[in-house]
Amino acid sequence: MTSTAAVGVAPSRPSLGRWSFPVGILVSLVVLYAIVANGAHEQAQDQFINALTIGAIYALIALGYTMVYGIIELINFAHGEVFMCGSFVSWWLLTTLGFSGAISDPIVLAGVLVLAFAVSMVVMGVVGVVIERVAYRRLRNAPRLAPLITAIGVSFILQNIIYVTVSNSIITIPQIIPNPVISFGPVAIREINLFVIVLAVVLMIGLQAFITRTRLGRAMRSTAIDREAAQLMGVDINTTIALTFFIGSALAGAAGVVQGLYFGITAFNIGFQAGLKAFTAAVLGGIGNTTGAAIGGFVIGFLEVISSVYGYGRWSEAAVFGALVLVLIFRPTGILGQAAGDRA
Amino acid sequence: MKLTRLGALVAGAVLVFGACSSTSSPAASSGAGGGTIAIKVGIELPMTGGEAPNGVPTANGVALALSQITVPGFTITINQQDDAVNGKHNANQGATNMGLLANDAQVLFVVGPYNSSVAQAEIPVTNAAGLIQCSPANTAVSLTKGDSAVALRKTNPSKIAYVRVATTDDNQGAGGADIVYNTIGAKSAYVLDDTQTYGKGLAQGFADAYTKLGGTILKTDSPPDTTTDFTSYVTAIKGVNPPAVFYGGVTTSGIGLFRKQMAQQGLTNIPLAGGDGISDGSAATASSFLNIAGDGSANTYSTVAAIHDIPNPDKFAADYKTKFNTDPGAYSAPGYACTQIFLQALKAVSSGVTDLAKLREAVRAYVADPSHSFDTVLGKVGFDANGDTTQHSISYYKYDATAKDWVFFKQRDFIADPIK
Repeated sequence: MTSTAAVGVAPSRPSLGRWSFPVGILVSLVVLYAIVANGAHEQAQDQFINALTIGAIYALIALGYTMVYGIIELINFAHGEVFMCGSFVSWWLLTTLGFSGAISDPIVLAGVLVLAFAVSMVVMGVVGVVIERVAYRRLRNAPRLAPLITAIGVSFILQNIIYVTVSNSIITIPQIIPNPVISFGPVAIREINLFVIVLAVVLMIGLQAFITRTRLGRAMRSTAIDREAAQLMGVDINTTIALTFFIGSALAGAAGVVQGLYFGITAFNIGFQAGLKAFTAAVLGGIGNTTGAAIGGFVIGFLEVISSVYGYGRWSEAAVFGALVLVLIFRPTGILGQAAGDRA
Repeated sequence: MKLTRLGALVAGAVLVFGACSSTSSPAASSGAGGGTIAIKVGIELPMTGGEAPNGVPTANGVALALSQITVPGFTITINQQDDAVNGKHNANQGATNMGLLANDAQVLFVVGPYNSSVAQAEIPVTNAAGLIQCSPANTAVSLTKGDSAVALRKTNPSKIAYVRVATTDDNQGAGGADIVYNTIGAKSAYVLDDTQTYGKGLAQGFADAYTKLGGTILKTDSPPDTTTDFTSYVTAIKGVNPPAVFYGGVTTSGIGLFRKQMAQQGLTNIPLAGGDGISDGSAATASSFLNIAGDGSANTYSTVAAIHDIPNPDKFAADYKTKFNTDPGAYSAPGYACTQIFLQALKAVSSGVTDLAKLREAVRAYVADPSHSFDTVLGKVGFDANGDTTQHSISYYKYDATAKDWVFFKQRDFIADPIK
């Protein structure tokens, strides 16, 4: 097995050195803002924020896809359903605690938010570990199609558990964040949008720091690069893979809470569509690469908003999947993916 | 190439998803014996997920009719099919279901479907099989009129095997235009559709009547029915600042969330009107438009493409409540009416005929004949040469914050009182 796609940071381009990445992001944002502004006029700023918000949600889900792929080369099709289950956990928690609308007391709000994210992330993290243990571990050395089909099976199981035991229809989740417009000089942003974007960025930076700065993160990277060699160097492969599932699923759980806070609804079947978009984001960014997945998520958010801003909303999915096709034709490894050997 | 293979895997996976979600068909057992002929009424409606508020009350209407009316010499049971896949109506599933019903020789009549896009896929099947279907709720014009309708009946172009007791979207769109222009008093509007057969047709019907009345359409948009985030559309509305929004589409395409996000961005003062696609129950009904829209329900209007002032409304509602312990849905009475039409046709043609295939054709010919008319819970109903109902009434509803439900306020008959 000649593994390459590592869970890790973007490779830096030698010409610009370490600044190439932040400069690239900044330039892209300016260009995207110009494109949005050209179509949206006075609503440019709002639309830009809409794109960042939805992009942040896709990015959070995409991270789990890409981490799992990076470490065991499995497209975990159950991941969208983990996101869906996360939204149900937050619904259960908030309604059990008796909330039905916005919480005006900031201290109570902060406490409830921390609780909701902690519970949903831990529960979904554990669910992810259980899925890996029960469904995927014994197939680790099986032909690639076997775990893939198993993943689809797991997604059906999760969907049907919710369908049968909780609700077979769309349910509303209390939107506990009050939604005033906050102004920072010329920038006006709604509280919920600010919260979602900041949260996603914090989680991504945290993840990146974990992967690059800690022993466990190093174990994950080395397992991704060469599982057998890592094992020979004393890395506990099973624990490391379980940890990857835990973190990826916990991020999906966080995205599930965000779904409730931002949209206020969930249903047993939202995982498929969200999962497909997030998977596209992961492949766009270069599957196996966490920074790429985050970028891919934002790219999809912008593609959707830009198509609607220019009056071609009905083509938004064509734009998203068309972009995927173009990237796969001209840069088959995705935006940040490294050249990969054939390994199937 | 790793990723191209990956693409093939994805395509494969999508196929698996589609293939695995077909519903089982609980075939009703035939209670033949004692000299009676066992026959079945097929029900082809979306019954699960976000569609439950549409299909279940309509199917209940059929069950209620069968429990109250008997035809001597026949035992009638139900062959129930569900065209919802993952909680949304699905045209391919509808066509598959209709194939199953057509192959069940005991099925002489089908009530359904609910959605026009599903009907589009089913009409060729029933036309080829010569099995009459009666839709309680389809409103798309293209199903019965013009070249598109003839193309759907390609096996037997002259034989009508599809009738409906709901009137068409030229009338329903006119009702919407009447509400927006006269009731709301908005002389210009923003129009949205969900890109489906029904939604596009309704938006078109609205646009035609609205411009005839003198209204101006400021902007149109078509978010696909898979859209899960409407914020960019809602933000665009701010820029247009229309006096009203008209929506052609169904709740499962996401309009409830759209309205909720309008409320989130402080735009509930802009009224929103839609057709029967959003008239799907009170705020207490799970998955209904009002339930999802929440605070956004204020200032919303809807129509139902059926007569409201039925001859004996209290009796029907009371009977329904006794049997199902809940109030009837918008299309419960039309579902009941379809069943009555079948039973009256069966009575008229069944003397001496025992061959199921002959009975099926006789029922079809009797129902489709424009010279026949039927006494139903909706009043007198007949069908024209295209299979469209002779009733052209639209009922208007407005959201009421105290009842947390749609409240009827007007009925307009577009034969007696067309838009000029």
